[in-house]
Amino acid sequence: MKRAMALLLGFTMLWGLVGTAWASRPGVLTIWADSTRAPILAELSPAFTAEFGIPVEVHEVPFGDIRARLGVAGPAGEGPDIIIGPHDWIGEFIADGLLEPLRFLEGIRDQFVPVSIEAFSSGGEIWGLPYLTEAIGILYNRDLVPAVPETYAEFIALARGLTDPEKGQFGFLTNIPQPDPFHSFPFFTASGGYIFGLDEEGVLDPCDIGLATEGAIRGGHLILELITAGLVPVGTDYAAMTGLFNDGKAGMILTGPWAVADARAAGINYGIAKLPAIEGQPMRPFVGVHGFMVSSFSANKLLAMVFLQEFIVTKEAKLALYEADPRNPAFLPALEVVAADPEVAAWAANEAVGIPMPSIPEMAAVWSAWADALTLIVTQQLSPEDALRDAVARISGLIGCPR
Amino acid sequence: MYSRHTLPGKLLRHLLIWGMIAFALFPVLWIFSASINAGNTLFGQRFIPPNPTLSHYQELFTSPRHPFGLWLWNSIKVSGIASLLTVSLAALGAYALSRFRFRGRRTGLLALLIIQMFPQMLAMVAIYLLLLEIGRHLPGLGLNTHAGLIMVYLGGAMGFNTWLMKGYFDTIPRDLEESAMIDGATHFQAFLQIILPLAKPILAVIFILSFIGTYSDFLLPSILLTGTENFTFAVGLRLFILGEYATRWGIFAAACMLGAIPILVVFLSLQRFLISGLTRGAVKG
Amino acid sequence: MAVILLKIFLLGLTNALGVWAAVGLFLAGSWLPLGGLVLGLVALNLAVLSKRAYPLRYLLPGLIPFFLMVVYPIASNMAVAFTNFGTGHRLTKEQVIAHFENRFYLPEGGERFTYQAFRGPAGSLILLLTSTLTGTNYLSERGILQAVELTDPRFIFDGQEIVEINGHHRLSRRELVQMMGELQGLSLPWGDEAVRLVSLAEFGVARQQYRYDPAEGVLTDLRTGITYTPVEGIFTSVHGERLQPGFVVFIGARNFSEIITNPHISGPFFRIFTWTFLWAFLSVATTFTLGLALALLLNDPYLELRNFYRTLLIVPYAIPGFISILVWGGMLNVDFGIVNRMLQDLFATKIPWFHDPLWARVAVLLVNLWLGYAYMMIVCLGALQSIPQELYEAARVDGANRWQQFGKVTLPLLLISIAPLLVGSFAFNFNNFNVIFLLTGGGPPIPGAITPAGATDILISYTYNLAFGAAGARYGFAAAVSLIIFMIIGTISAINFRLTRSLERVGESL
Repeated sequence: MKRAMALLLGFTMLWGLVGTAWASRPGVLTIWADSTRAPILAELSPAFTAEFGIPVEVHEVPFGDIRARLGVAGPAGEGPDIIIGPHDWIGEFIADGLLEPLRFLEGIRDQFVPVSIEAFSSGGEIWGLPYLTEAIGILYNRDLVPAVPETYAEFIALARGLTDPEKGQFGFLTNIPQPDPFHSFPFFTASGGYIFGLDEEGVLDPCDIGLATEGAIRGGHLILELITAGLVPVGTDYAAMTGLFNDGKAGMILTGPWAVADARAAGINYGIAKLPAIEGQPMRPFVGVHGFMVSSFSANKLLAMVFLQEFIVTKEAKLALYEADPRNPAFLPALEVVAADPEVAAWAANEAVGIPMPSIPEMAAVWSAWADALTLIVTQQLSPEDALRDAVARISGLIGCPR
Repeated sequence: MYSRHTLPGKLLRHLLIWGMIAFALFPVLWIFSASINAGNTLFGQRFIPPNPTLSHYQELFTSPRHPFGLWLWNSIKVSGIASLLTVSLAALGAYALSRFRFRGRRTGLLALLIIQMFPQMLAMVAIYLLLLEIGRHLPGLGLNTHAGLIMVYLGGAMGFNTWLMKGYFDTIPRDLEESAMIDGATHFQAFLQIILPLAKPILAVIFILSFIGTYSDFLLPSILLTGTENFTFAVGLRLFILGEYATRWGIFAAACMLGAIPILVVFLSLQRFLISGLTRGAVKG
Repeated sequence: MAVILLKIFLLGLTNALGVWAAVGLFLAGSWLPLGGLVLGLVALNLAVLSKRAYPLRYLLPGLIPFFLMVVYPIASNMAVAFTNFGTGHRLTKEQVIAHFENRFYLPEGGERFTYQAFRGPAGSLILLLTSTLTGTNYLSERGILQAVELTDPRFIFDGQEIVEINGHHRLSRRELVQMMGELQGLSLPWGDEAVRLVSLAEFGVARQQYRYDPAEGVLTDLRTGITYTPVEGIFTSVHGERLQPGFVVFIGARNFSEIITNPHISGPFFRIFTWTFLWAFLSVATTFTLGLALALLLNDPYLELRNFYRTLLIVPYAIPGFISILVWGGMLNVDFGIVNRMLQDLFATKIPWFHDPLWARVAVLLVNLWLGYAYMMIVCLGALQSIPQELYEAARVDGANRWQQFGKVTLPLLLISIAPLLVGSFAFNFNNFNVIFLLTGGGPPIPGAITPAGATDILISYTYNLAFGAAGARYGFAAAVSLIIFMIIGTISAINFRLTRSLERVGESL
């Protein structure tokens, strides 16, 4: 009896050993999307199949893996037709020849929020079909904070008033100390800092790094003050920040639309506000644009374009995407429909002053050096001047800029 | 070396061990507490959550896009088969290295051990392309197949495993085989019928170490398995961590708890072999 | 007898299949797989047929996957180390040329056509193109465009729409989409140009944008006339404009020389190497000490609840490493982690776990200890039990106390048997990327350093950062560094094996 069971077990195991192919093949559209978007696509695509008779396969690939996998799978012939991802991926993809330019967008570019097309443009071509835009703003608890001040001085005063370490309550929290340079950007831009400057042709110049300008250094000092004033504990990371907010212990946090779902689930009476202005200058966050891109190794390039042009670029599809994943649509007709929602308007206000994240491959050096500078600043091992100057020196050195 | 304890001695020993157990199990209890906590963060929990819930466990088994039960089964299957085969291959190799004299034996063993110390950072791309190519000629053995994944794991069968087994075999006296061969048995028959039964402990040891090693591995399967229903437990877990912005701790913790069960079962059922197994091969008394 | 016949039959069959596959590979020009296959076949035949190669029969089943999955990737790694494979140079030259030669552009003022497609019963295709410029209609039959009038007798109308031409029925939009692949491939002659499908709705005059001249090795942009020659894997014009994407090229030992000459790398190298060595050594030392201590405690036959304790203490080994590391990361958070919260309550202090270099190192060692003590405990438990009791008797008779027994009997015999495992553990931790990367990312950063090396960076995590965190991914460079690291740890291990004379013993034991 035991033997039979063992045999049966073995047989069942062997049965499952054979797999199937998941690559681009003619006549079938293969899409790679992460866990947020794969379900949405899976729900939407049957309508396309019904209308045109082309099967669509949506594969869930972890967000961080899509980029790495495309580079290996694409040229090997195992890649997808379409991927969904943020615009800052295109720099590397273009350098590797992995994307197909989307010419059909030229004619309809004014149907999109301008910054979204700008984010996906490079070298005169458009490389992705934008569908959402996002930028960080202030997520606040209406029960603790009736209204978010519009100037930074008042903002900090309000935060100070609310912060009470004994009770474990905080007026303003941010995960910048994690370190998270992405969220620190608005502090740097308010006084004139920047990442890469533009050269005469309006193209990003990786050797013109603006992280140690006067404005940037002032931003560094503002961040340091958050720590020294006791407003933000130096160990605050994303989990701590959102955890405290969802427990009702934080008045205002600096985050993006992705954090709203948990706040709603936790029953917080939340609101969204624009970042305050520092001495009259707006705090400009990064704008991230997510869109659909077509692999240059796809066996179905025109088919993919058809899918995008006829099916995705419609109010209905864009609205469906918005319903499932509430971040501002990049498609103007869809945006108009939801513009009445005050949350949409609030996020849009932040995006309006935002700057698209640079998508050139040199950003990799920036992120790590910037993160280290932030760590040294918040742990008070170096002054903001020294930390930021070191960071810029390091970035230049790594990229190979002339001295 | 040991003698009866005095009472204070006994107390001290038990205290020390309990201290160690606290250190060992503390993080585990934390994971467990997160798995029954209604929220989704690891932070801010008290040890005993105010509203314990089994919802995360439920979610694990009812999510159609994330077939957790299937992933667990895949892991057990892949690790089980890979470990069985690893044991077999290592045993064969160890027998040859132990019983036969041939040129390059010692250097070969040294080479086997040292080659495996190569940093695996970049091997992934090479293995991906290799399996891709193999899959084109032998469809059942390529990318996104469990057979292909197992084959990659078998690459590590020779190495420390073989060394451990060889040491063990060395301590089994040769007279038994010699007399069997005088009676007409071949080498292989002697191997199967005399050596292997006596070596059960070390076989169990290698099986457990292989099983734990392959079960926890997420790097290879995440690169080689591209279809959701083929994922192993570790790969599936990665999906939860690599959500776009934050780890979904609740469901992640629940998955950890459940995922640890197969390993513990394997370990508990085979642990009696572990002890005497690593003994004999290791020491020259 | 029957067995021998079976063996010969199977061998013959395998050889036949092997030769058939080899011919296929030869014709396809896949040299490396061909070489591997031939080698494998030779080894197999040798193993089965030769008496002297008898041991090979036992070794081959394990060696085949070893060579395929371990040796081959290492070899390919070494090959990559001499190239510039990485971001911007991922594709082969052929792929890049194909990439450019497949590009089409629509010239200014080029005609566009709306179209309708008709398919006949035998599968043949007729297209009716209508120029958006002139309104003229053209019929394509067998790939040639001819002007037609709408009054052509071959057209059958239904109201304003043509539904049939010459027995071919009009295709709906849905059917058009399904035929995309076929339509995409059409190229209809138009004077000395060609008309191709440019979108679902239109055909248009399209010109090839690039042409590659293999003789000269020059890529010409037909639109601008600029020529590009390959320079280090990128097509570059005379004025220095570079075309993306580039391709992989052999760059000799440049990756290796960079390791030596680039101050970013050579500067912190010594410091990082020292810490890596310390890290590996301390990891082995701490896990071994704790493992041994526990083994001694649990080995005591007079201790109650031994089995229960042993089971509990194994649990850390059963949890997948990356999970435990993440949990530890959360527990050690400076302000919100449970460890500091307890320390605050009990002793009113907080340890700056990940912000201070020393404490960060303590943290990684602590977590590694948690992860690894169980393995050492198991190993020691086993080894302890094999020490014969007679030795302890003899020592007691000679008047040795408990500690002396440990020092003179237990420890030496233990170390002899476990030494190779310790060497292996040292090598493993030397390259233990996981813990460092997931827990601290190599940080905390060193103030004033111009290189991205942090206080807990080990050789492999640091080079990972350099290879992938500068300007895209530099696989060639990473491969060169892997090779260097391998040579370092290989040498250290070989020395260790020699010192502990473990392989000598292994040889002896025959």
